[in-house]
Amino acid sequence: MTLFGRRNVLLAMFVVAAVTPFLVNDYYLFIANTILIYVLLSIGLNVLVGYTGQLAFANAAMFGIGAYTTGLLQVRLGWPFWLAFPSGAVIATAVGLAISLPALRLKGLYLAVSTLAFAQFTQWAFLNWETVTYGAGGFKTPPISFAPLPFSKEIGLYYLSLLFVVVLFVLAQNAVRSRFGRAFVAVRDSEIAAQSLGVDLLRYKALAFGISGFYAGIAGGLYSALLNFVSPEGYDLFQMVLQKSMIVVGGLGSIVGSILGAGAIVVILEALRAVKGVQEIAFGAILVGFVLFMPGGIAGFLKAKLRGWEEPLHRTQGGRPPPSTLVTPSEKSEVRS
Amino acid sequence: MELFTYLLLSGLTTGSLYALIALGIVVVNKSTGMINFAHGELFMFSGFVAWMLHVQMGMGYLPSFAIAVAVGFLLGAVTNLIAARPMRNADVVGLVLATIGLAFVFRGAARVIWGGKGDYLSFPPITSPDPVTIAGIMVIPQQIAVLAGAIVIMLVFAAFFRLTRAGKMMQATADNAKASRLVGIRIDRIYMLSFGTGAAIAAAAAVLMAPLTLLYPDMGFSFFIKGFAAAVLGGLTSLPGAVLGGFCIGVIEALAGGYISSSFMEVSAFIVIMFVLVLRPTGLLSFGKLRQV
Repeated sequence: MTLFGRRNVLLAMFVVAAVTPFLVNDYYLFIANTILIYVLLSIGLNVLVGYTGQLAFANAAMFGIGAYTTGLLQVRLGWPFWLAFPSGAVIATAVGLAISLPALRLKGLYLAVSTLAFAQFTQWAFLNWETVTYGAGGFKTPPISFAPLPFSKEIGLYYLSLLFVVVLFVLAQNAVRSRFGRAFVAVRDSEIAAQSLGVDLLRYKALAFGISGFYAGIAGGLYSALLNFVSPEGYDLFQMVLQKSMIVVGGLGSIVGSILGAGAIVVILEALRAVKGVQEIAFGAILVGFVLFMPGGIAGFLKAKLRGWEEPLHRTQGGRPPPSTLVTPSEKSEVRS
Repeated sequence: MELFTYLLLSGLTTGSLYALIALGIVVVNKSTGMINFAHGELFMFSGFVAWMLHVQMGMGYLPSFAIAVAVGFLLGAVTNLIAARPMRNADVVGLVLATIGLAFVFRGAARVIWGGKGDYLSFPPITSPDPVTIAGIMVIPQQIAVLAGAIVIMLVFAAFFRLTRAGKMMQATADNAKASRLVGIRIDRIYMLSFGTGAAIAAAAAVLMAPLTLLYPDMGFSFFIKGFAAAVLGGLTSLPGAVLGGFCIGVIEALAGGYISSSFMEVSAFIVIMFVLVLRPTGLLSFGKLRQV
């Protein structure tokens, strides 16, 4: 175990995150909370895109569905947050599972475009289904309280987010190392080979979509509580590109990378908040730059430079499966002649 | 009946624009096997260039049209150089993300350059705005001009593709890239030409469309999705299919907007994409062709 190995760095990050509320003002606490929420989003998306190789663009929509469900159940039906929040996550997960059905028939570009169309459809529903969603103006959600606990709303929500990040991080980290993770990677590297090994494509694709939907739903519920406001703009294509940038910058197929990517992107986003055009140029350029010159992302870089960052099943250079000297059944070229 | 003919005509007009955008997507996909996700942004950017030349600098419509198309061609070639060419042998995730990144750069650039003048820019009409009645049907001359212009562009493109040397080389590359390389066609150049041509067609569509509607930096994506819906409807590699698909999407959209609710105009294309991709991924014009694994 080296000093700057992954485990030590993660522990240090956790300690910093745990004491943050005592050290910073409300604005920085808000930023820190935003980072935690994006960490959840990018971990879920990375399981889907980085590990399972499903290029889907519906994550922002599922994030929005989580936020809208949590908010609307409170406002329309008067449910308490503690009931509305898990319901939002459940509905987002259900939507994720539903999207996986066409995904079984579609690959690559086609999947990308059909999920983009789904995302636009969701956005349209948020905007135009006014009798339910309050349309373009959005709506305010009631402030949540942590009544029996001695926390203010900000600090309570921060620790709630941190709790979810820690639990869901450990869950994802363990899942990708288990047979699920190996099945995901097998699906990514070659569907035919995966099937011939007995990996049930429908099941594992649905599982990956469900996981990303669940993470996005949790993040959405927390986000609606953080902002106390839900409106369609937060869940548009820019949001999607933001999340994609996070996993590309952090490293596709790396759970730790998702944390680093989310942190880096939120900080840059806040620094450029003044001008939307400049934000777009910066993100576009970051995305292109990382895809072209650092396809392994920050995690790939750290893995190459520092000891103790090795990750099982991590995607290497060029977004392709690592060349192995052994001829494994998952070799793409062998199967696709 | 009057409403129907009116909707049909305006559907055909916007459909002709979608057909042009779809044509650009198909040209790129046919010869390179890639989808340029920045296509809509190239369309938007060229429209803004034409606006700058025509409105701000007072140039005539036709010269602005020509320059905007040339700029579109250049930007398409640049897209190929930056995002597509290095990604040719990488997997599809990298390619899509690279072109999307570039799309956002274009969008941000348009917002920085032209966004300060109010996000929506209007382009003066090139014909008189008053409707005229031809054979009992109310017609807006601008729509006829757009429709005619789009058809001329399609014919010019078809002639280019069939008759010129460059067009024939593009066809050969689309058919079999390896064999084309063997007979001495420079594939890299053909790829660049395809990206450029696709973007040039999109640019032509943008300048044709500009007098009908407003220009704004976010318009690219929704036109891209509709053009893509049209291309998918036609099967993604068929040029006549793309044109047919474009007209279909335009008419469906106009009828949905007229008879159901105007908010359905925006969403009908997405519904078409989802259904076609899930139910009939090979497109309208393919009969009994099997999908390749």
